[in-house]
Amino acid sequence: MGLAKTDTQSAQDVGQTDGNIITTTIDRVINWGRKNSLWPMPFGTACCAIEMMATLASKFDLSRFGSEAIRFSPRQSDLLIVSGRISIKMMPVLKRIYDQMPDPKWVISMGACASCGGVFDTYTLIQGVDQFIPVDVYIPGCPPRPEDLIDAVLQVQQKIASGASPKGVEHLLET
Amino acid sequence: MNEEKEVEEQPKPLILQKLEEHHADALLSQDEIRGTIVVVLRKEQAYAVLEYLKTDPELAYTFLVDVTAVDNSQMESELMQFDYARFMVVYQLYSYQGQCRVRVKVPVHENDLNIPSVTGLWRGANWLERETYDMFGINFDGHPDLRRILMPDDFEGHPLQKDYPLRGRGERESFNFDKQNV
Repeated sequence: MGLAKTDTQSAQDVGQTDGNIITTTIDRVINWGRKNSLWPMPFGTACCAIEMMATLASKFDLSRFGSEAIRFSPRQSDLLIVSGRISIKMMPVLKRIYDQMPDPKWVISMGACASCGGVFDTYTLIQGVDQFIPVDVYIPGCPPRPEDLIDAVLQVQQKIASGASPKGVEHLLET
Repeated sequence: MNEEKEVEEQPKPLILQKLEEHHADALLSQDEIRGTIVVVLRKEQAYAVLEYLKTDPELAYTFLVDVTAVDNSQMESELMQFDYARFMVVYQLYSYQGQCRVRVKVPVHENDLNIPSVTGLWRGANWLERETYDMFGINFDGHPDLRRILMPDDFEGHPLQKDYPLRGRGERESFNFDKQNV
Protein backbone atom coordinates (compact mmCIF):
# COMPACT_ATOMS: atom_id res chain seq x y z
CA MET A 1 0.00 0.00 0.00
CA GLY A 2 1.35 3.38 -0.94
CA LEU A 3 2.21 5.57 1.97
CA ALA A 4 3.52 8.61 0.12
CA LYS A 5 2.03 12.02 0.76
CA THR A 6 -0.57 13.11 -1.79
CA ASP A 7 -2.45 16.20 -2.81
CA THR A 8 -1.11 18.80 -0.45
CA GLN A 9 -3.22 21.71 -1.68
CA SER A 10 -6.54 20.49 -0.19
CA ALA A 11 -7.10 20.03 3.51
CA GLN A 12 -10.25 18.02 2.87
CA ASP A 13 -10.12 14.27 2.62
CA VAL A 14 -12.88 14.37 0.03
CA GLY A 15 -13.62 17.00 -2.57
CA GLN A 16 -17.18 17.47 -3.87
CA THR A 17 -18.22 19.21 -7.10
CA ASP A 18 -21.60 20.57 -8.20
CA GLY A 19 -22.55 17.46 -10.14
CA ASN A 20 -22.55 15.13 -7.13
CA ILE A 21 -19.21 13.67 -8.11
CA ILE A 22 -16.78 12.81 -5.34
CA THR A 23 -13.10 12.94 -6.11
CA THR A 24 -10.37 11.57 -3.88
CA THR A 25 -7.28 9.42 -4.04
CA ILE A 26 -6.88 5.76 -3.20
CA ASP A 27 -4.39 6.61 -0.44
CA ARG A 28 -6.78 8.99 1.24
CA VAL A 29 -9.65 6.55 1.24
CA ILE A 30 -7.49 3.77 2.58
CA ASN A 31 -5.99 5.98 5.28
CA TRP A 32 -9.46 7.20 6.21
CA GLY A 33 -10.48 3.59 6.72
CA ARG A 34 -7.33 2.72 8.60
CA LYS A 35 -7.52 5.57 11.03
CA ASN A 36 -11.08 4.82 12.00
CA SER A 37 -10.59 1.13 12.61
CA LEU A 38 -7.35 0.82 14.52
CA TRP A 39 -7.05 -2.61 16.13
CA PRO A 40 -4.84 -2.26 19.19
CA MET A 41 -2.61 -4.99 20.54
CA PRO A 42 -2.32 -4.34 24.30
CA PHE A 43 1.05 -5.10 25.84
CA GLY A 44 0.20 -4.34 29.44
CA THR A 45 2.86 -5.25 31.99
CA ALA A 46 2.13 -2.85 34.86
CA CYS A 47 -0.22 -0.26 36.30
CA CYS A 48 -0.51 1.61 32.98
CA ALA A 49 -2.44 -1.42 31.76
CA ILE A 50 -5.07 -0.71 34.40
CA GLU A 51 -5.55 2.74 32.91
CA MET A 52 -5.69 1.13 29.48
CA MET A 53 -8.51 -1.11 30.68
CA ALA A 54 -10.33 1.94 32.05
CA THR A 55 -9.88 3.62 28.67
CA LEU A 56 -11.61 0.72 27.00
CA ALA A 57 -14.40 0.45 29.55
CA SER A 58 -17.68 2.30 29.42
CA LYS A 59 -16.66 5.42 31.30
CA PHE A 60 -14.05 6.54 28.80
CA ASP A 61 -15.06 4.27 25.92
CA LEU A 62 -12.29 4.21 23.36
CA SER A 63 -14.78 2.75 20.89
CA ARG A 64 -16.07 6.28 20.33
CA PHE A 65 -12.89 6.72 18.31
CA GLY A 66 -13.01 3.41 16.48
CA SER A 67 -10.23 1.64 18.36
CA GLU A 68 -12.06 -0.74 20.64
CA ALA A 69 -11.35 -3.97 18.76
CA ILE A 70 -8.57 -5.13 21.09
CA ARG A 71 -6.76 -8.12 19.64
CA PHE A 72 -4.55 -10.35 21.72
CA SER A 73 -3.05 -11.74 18.57
CA PRO A 74 -0.41 -9.45 17.07
CA ARG A 75 -1.19 -10.84 13.62
CA GLN A 76 -4.61 -9.20 13.71
CA SER A 77 -3.61 -5.79 15.02
CA ASP A 78 -1.97 -2.65 13.72
CA LEU A 79 -1.47 -0.57 16.88
CA LEU A 80 0.84 -1.77 19.64
CA ILE A 81 0.22 -0.13 23.03
CA VAL A 82 3.23 -0.76 25.28
CA SER A 83 1.97 0.03 28.75
CA GLY A 84 4.29 -0.79 31.61
CA ARG A 85 7.79 -1.74 32.60
CA ILE A 86 9.74 -3.87 30.13
CA SER A 87 12.56 -5.94 31.61
CA ILE A 88 15.49 -7.34 29.67
CA LYS A 89 13.77 -10.72 29.84
CA MET A 90 10.54 -9.32 28.42
CA MET A 91 12.07 -7.19 25.67
CA PRO A 92 12.67 -10.11 23.25
CA VAL A 93 9.01 -11.08 23.69
CA LEU A 94 7.89 -7.54 22.91
CA LYS A 95 10.20 -7.38 19.92
CA ARG A 96 8.81 -10.63 18.61
CA ILE A 97 5.23 -9.44 19.02
CA TYR A 98 6.09 -6.22 17.19
CA ASP A 99 7.70 -8.24 14.39
CA GLN A 100 4.60 -10.41 14.07
CA MET A 101 2.28 -7.47 13.47
CA PRO A 102 1.49 -6.84 9.79
CA ASP A 103 2.55 -3.56 8.20
CA PRO A 104 1.59 -0.76 8.39
CA LYS A 105 1.76 -0.72 12.18
CA TRP A 106 2.00 1.97 14.81
CA VAL A 107 3.36 1.93 18.36
CA ILE A 108 2.24 3.92 21.40
CA SER A 109 4.67 3.98 24.31
CA MET A 110 2.37 4.55 27.25
CA GLY A 111 3.71 6.02 30.47
CA ALA A 112 7.08 6.86 31.93
CA CYS A 113 8.35 3.26 32.30
CA ALA A 114 7.82 2.23 28.71
CA SER A 115 9.13 5.56 27.43
CA CYS A 116 12.25 5.97 29.56
CA GLY A 117 12.34 3.44 32.38
CA GLY A 118 10.53 5.76 34.76
CA VAL A 119 11.73 5.59 38.33
CA PHE A 120 13.15 2.10 37.73
CA ASP A 121 16.70 2.99 36.80
CA THR A 122 17.84 -0.53 37.66
CA TYR A 123 19.88 -3.42 36.33
CA THR A 124 17.00 -5.21 34.70
CA LEU A 125 14.78 -2.55 33.17
CA ILE A 126 14.85 -1.31 29.57
CA GLN A 127 15.31 2.46 29.70
CA GLY A 128 12.83 3.19 26.94
CA VAL A 129 11.43 0.66 24.49
CA ASP A 130 12.32 3.00 21.62
CA GLN A 131 15.85 1.63 21.87
CA PHE A 132 14.56 -1.56 20.31
CA ILE A 133 11.27 -0.87 18.55
CA PRO A 134 10.17 2.31 16.73
CA VAL A 135 7.67 4.38 18.71
CA ASP A 136 5.21 6.74 17.04
CA VAL A 137 3.57 8.40 20.02
CA TYR A 138 4.83 8.73 23.60
CA ILE A 139 2.51 9.35 26.52
CA PRO A 140 3.99 10.95 29.63
CA GLY A 141 2.55 10.19 33.06
CA CYS A 142 2.84 7.66 35.83
CA PRO A 143 0.38 6.31 34.96
CA PRO A 144 -1.25 8.55 32.32
CA ARG A 145 -4.95 9.28 32.58
CA PRO A 146 -7.28 7.48 30.16
CA GLU A 147 -7.76 10.83 28.41
CA ASP A 148 -4.04 10.82 27.64
CA LEU A 149 -4.30 7.42 25.98
CA ILE A 150 -7.31 8.58 23.98
CA ASP A 151 -5.31 11.64 22.93
CA ALA A 152 -2.45 9.40 21.83
CA VAL A 153 -4.81 7.28 19.75
CA LEU A 154 -6.17 10.46 18.17
CA GLN A 155 -2.61 11.54 17.39
CA VAL A 156 -1.97 8.21 15.70
CA GLN A 157 -5.17 8.77 13.72
CA GLN A 158 -3.94 12.21 12.69
CA LYS A 159 -0.64 10.71 11.58
CA ILE A 160 -2.45 8.12 9.51
CA ALA A 161 -4.82 10.69 8.00
CA SER A 162 -1.94 12.97 7.07
CA GLY A 163 -0.40 10.14 5.11
CA ALA A 164 2.71 10.06 7.29
CA SER A 165 4.56 6.78 7.48
CA PRO A 166 4.78 4.84 10.71
CA LYS A 167 8.14 5.15 12.45
CA GLY A 168 8.72 1.50 11.70
CA VAL A 169 9.00 1.97 7.94
CA GLU A 170 10.63 5.41 7.72
CA HIS A 171 14.08 3.89 7.50
CA LEU A 172 12.89 1.78 4.56
CA LEU A 173 11.61 4.81 2.67
CA GLU A 174 14.87 6.73 3.08
CA THR A 175 16.96 4.21 1.15
CA MET B 1 -1.23 -25.41 73.87
CA ASN B 2 -4.11 -24.20 76.00
CA GLU B 3 -3.09 -26.45 78.84
CA GLU B 4 0.34 -24.92 78.82
CA LYS B 5 -1.08 -21.43 79.15
CA GLU B 6 -3.19 -22.38 82.14
CA VAL B 7 -0.24 -23.76 84.02
CA GLU B 8 1.81 -20.57 83.86
CA GLU B 9 0.90 -16.89 83.75
CA GLN B 10 3.17 -16.00 80.86
CA PRO B 11 4.42 -19.30 79.54
CA LYS B 12 7.28 -19.60 77.13
CA PRO B 13 5.85 -20.30 73.68
CA LEU B 14 5.48 -24.00 73.08
CA ILE B 15 7.80 -23.95 70.09
CA LEU B 16 10.67 -22.50 72.11
CA GLN B 17 10.08 -24.96 74.94
CA LYS B 18 10.16 -27.88 72.56
CA LEU B 19 13.14 -26.60 70.59
CA GLU B 20 15.12 -26.15 73.79
CA GLU B 21 14.17 -29.62 74.85
CA HIS B 22 14.91 -31.45 71.59
CA HIS B 23 17.27 -29.25 69.57
CA ALA B 24 19.05 -27.02 72.05
CA ASP B 25 22.38 -27.49 70.27
CA ALA B 26 20.96 -26.13 67.02
CA LEU B 27 19.61 -22.91 68.53
CA LEU B 28 21.88 -19.91 68.05
CA SER B 29 19.37 -17.38 69.28
CA GLN B 30 15.68 -16.96 70.01
CA ASP B 31 13.70 -13.80 70.06
CA GLU B 32 10.26 -12.34 69.62
CA ILE B 33 9.96 -9.45 67.21
CA ARG B 34 6.56 -7.72 66.93
CA GLY B 35 4.71 -10.83 67.96
CA THR B 36 6.60 -13.23 65.72
CA ILE B 37 8.97 -15.78 67.19
CA VAL B 38 12.35 -15.66 65.49
CA VAL B 39 14.82 -18.50 65.91
CA VAL B 40 18.30 -18.65 64.43
CA LEU B 41 19.59 -22.12 63.70
CA ARG B 42 22.97 -23.64 62.98
CA LYS B 43 23.19 -24.52 59.31
CA GLU B 44 24.26 -28.11 59.99
CA GLN B 45 21.11 -28.90 61.94
CA ALA B 46 18.74 -26.57 60.08
CA TYR B 47 17.12 -29.24 57.94
CA ALA B 48 16.56 -31.56 60.89
CA VAL B 49 14.96 -28.80 62.94
CA LEU B 50 12.74 -27.65 60.07
CA GLU B 51 11.64 -31.24 59.60
CA TYR B 52 10.90 -31.41 63.32
CA LEU B 53 8.85 -28.20 63.16
CA LYS B 54 6.82 -29.60 60.33
CA THR B 55 6.27 -33.15 61.55
CA ASP B 56 5.91 -32.69 65.30
CA PRO B 57 2.18 -33.28 65.98
CA GLU B 58 1.97 -30.46 68.53
CA LEU B 59 3.74 -27.84 66.41
CA ALA B 60 2.73 -28.87 62.87
CA TYR B 61 4.23 -25.96 60.95
CA THR B 62 2.92 -27.49 57.75
CA PHE B 63 2.82 -24.34 55.62
CA LEU B 64 6.01 -22.81 54.24
CA VAL B 65 5.04 -19.20 53.60
CA ASP B 66 8.28 -17.93 52.13
CA VAL B 67 11.96 -18.62 51.63
CA THR B 68 14.25 -15.68 51.10
CA ALA B 69 17.61 -14.37 52.20
CA VAL B 70 19.24 -11.23 53.53
CA ASP B 71 22.67 -9.93 52.61
CA ASN B 72 24.06 -8.48 55.82
CA SER B 73 27.42 -7.49 54.36
CA GLN B 74 26.79 -3.82 55.17
CA MET B 75 25.13 -4.47 58.54
CA GLU B 76 28.02 -4.67 60.98
CA SER B 77 25.73 -5.24 63.97
CA GLU B 78 24.11 -8.26 62.33
CA LEU B 79 27.41 -9.63 61.10
CA MET B 80 29.01 -9.54 64.55
CA GLN B 81 26.11 -11.44 66.06
CA PHE B 82 26.53 -14.59 63.99
CA ASP B 83 30.22 -15.13 63.38
CA TYR B 84 30.36 -12.82 60.34
CA ALA B 85 28.07 -14.92 58.20
CA ARG B 86 27.27 -12.70 55.24
CA PHE B 87 23.91 -14.18 54.32
CA MET B 88 20.92 -15.10 56.39
CA VAL B 89 18.48 -17.52 54.77
CA VAL B 90 14.99 -16.89 56.12
CA TYR B 91 12.11 -19.36 56.29
CA GLN B 92 8.65 -18.14 57.26
CA LEU B 93 6.47 -20.94 58.60
CA TYR B 94 2.83 -21.07 59.56
CA SER B 95 0.96 -23.63 61.59
CA TYR B 96 -2.70 -23.99 60.74
CA GLN B 97 -3.15 -26.09 63.84
CA GLY B 98 -1.73 -23.56 66.28
CA GLN B 99 -2.56 -20.58 64.05
CA CYS B 100 0.85 -19.13 64.71
CA ARG B 101 3.93 -18.16 62.77
CA VAL B 102 7.63 -18.64 63.22
CA ARG B 103 10.56 -17.09 61.38
CA VAL B 104 13.55 -19.40 61.07
CA LYS B 105 16.86 -17.86 60.10
CA VAL B 106 20.01 -19.70 59.12
CA PRO B 107 23.36 -17.90 58.79
CA VAL B 108 25.31 -18.81 55.67
CA HIS B 109 28.96 -17.89 55.23
CA GLU B 110 30.15 -16.42 51.96
CA ASN B 111 32.83 -19.09 51.51
CA ASP B 112 30.24 -21.88 51.73
CA LEU B 113 26.97 -20.84 50.13
CA ASN B 114 25.46 -24.32 50.26
CA ILE B 115 22.46 -25.11 52.38
CA PRO B 116 20.19 -28.17 52.27
CA SER B 117 17.06 -27.70 50.18
CA VAL B 118 13.75 -28.09 51.96
CA THR B 119 11.90 -29.15 48.81
CA GLY B 120 11.70 -32.62 50.39
CA LEU B 121 9.63 -31.18 53.23
CA TRP B 122 7.56 -28.58 51.37
CA ARG B 123 7.24 -28.99 47.62
CA GLY B 124 6.33 -25.31 47.45
CA ALA B 125 9.91 -24.47 48.35
CA ASN B 126 10.94 -25.25 44.78
CA TRP B 127 10.38 -21.84 43.19
CA LEU B 128 11.09 -19.95 46.41
CA GLU B 129 14.55 -21.49 46.59
CA ARG B 130 15.09 -20.85 42.90
CA GLU B 131 14.34 -17.18 43.48
CA THR B 132 16.69 -17.05 46.46
CA TYR B 133 19.39 -18.69 44.34
CA ASP B 134 18.75 -16.26 41.49
CA MET B 135 18.83 -13.14 43.63
CA PHE B 136 21.41 -14.04 46.30
CA GLY B 137 23.44 -16.94 44.93
CA ILE B 138 22.59 -19.36 47.73
CA ASN B 139 23.03 -22.96 46.55
CA PHE B 140 20.32 -25.26 47.80
CA ASP B 141 21.76 -28.78 47.93
CA GLY B 142 19.35 -31.43 46.76
CA HIS B 143 17.08 -29.02 44.89
CA PRO B 144 15.57 -30.86 41.90
CA ASP B 145 15.93 -27.97 39.44
CA LEU B 146 18.08 -25.09 40.67
CA ARG B 147 17.86 -22.67 37.73
CA ARG B 148 17.30 -18.94 37.60
CA ILE B 149 13.64 -18.01 37.78
CA LEU B 150 13.44 -14.21 37.46
CA MET B 151 16.53 -13.18 35.55
CA PRO B 152 17.34 -14.46 32.02
CA ASP B 153 19.23 -17.76 31.94
CA ASP B 154 22.40 -16.13 30.59
CA PHE B 155 22.45 -13.44 33.30
CA GLU B 156 25.63 -13.26 35.34
CA GLY B 157 25.72 -12.40 39.01
CA HIS B 158 23.09 -12.24 41.71
CA PRO B 159 21.49 -8.80 41.75
CA LEU B 160 20.28 -8.60 45.35
CA GLN B 161 23.78 -9.08 46.71
CA LYS B 162 24.73 -5.72 48.16
CA ASP B 163 27.86 -5.36 46.03
CA TYR B 164 25.87 -5.68 42.83
CA PRO B 165 25.58 -2.23 41.20
CA LEU B 166 22.03 -0.83 41.12
CA ARG B 167 22.18 -0.04 37.43
CA GLY B 168 23.76 -3.38 36.66
CA ARG B 169 26.91 -4.13 34.74
CA GLY B 170 25.62 -3.09 31.34
CA GLU B 171 23.15 -5.96 30.93
CA ARG B 172 20.28 -3.70 29.96
CA GLU B 173 22.26 -2.17 27.13
CA SER B 174 24.07 -5.26 25.90
CA PHE B 175 21.61 -8.12 26.23
CA ASN B 176 21.36 -10.41 23.26
CA PHE B 177 18.04 -11.06 21.53
CA ASP B 178 19.38 -14.14 19.76
CA LYS B 179 20.66 -15.95 22.82
CA GLN B 180 17.30 -15.95 24.54
CA ASN B 181 14.69 -18.49 23.62
CA VAL B 182 11.50 -16.62 22.95
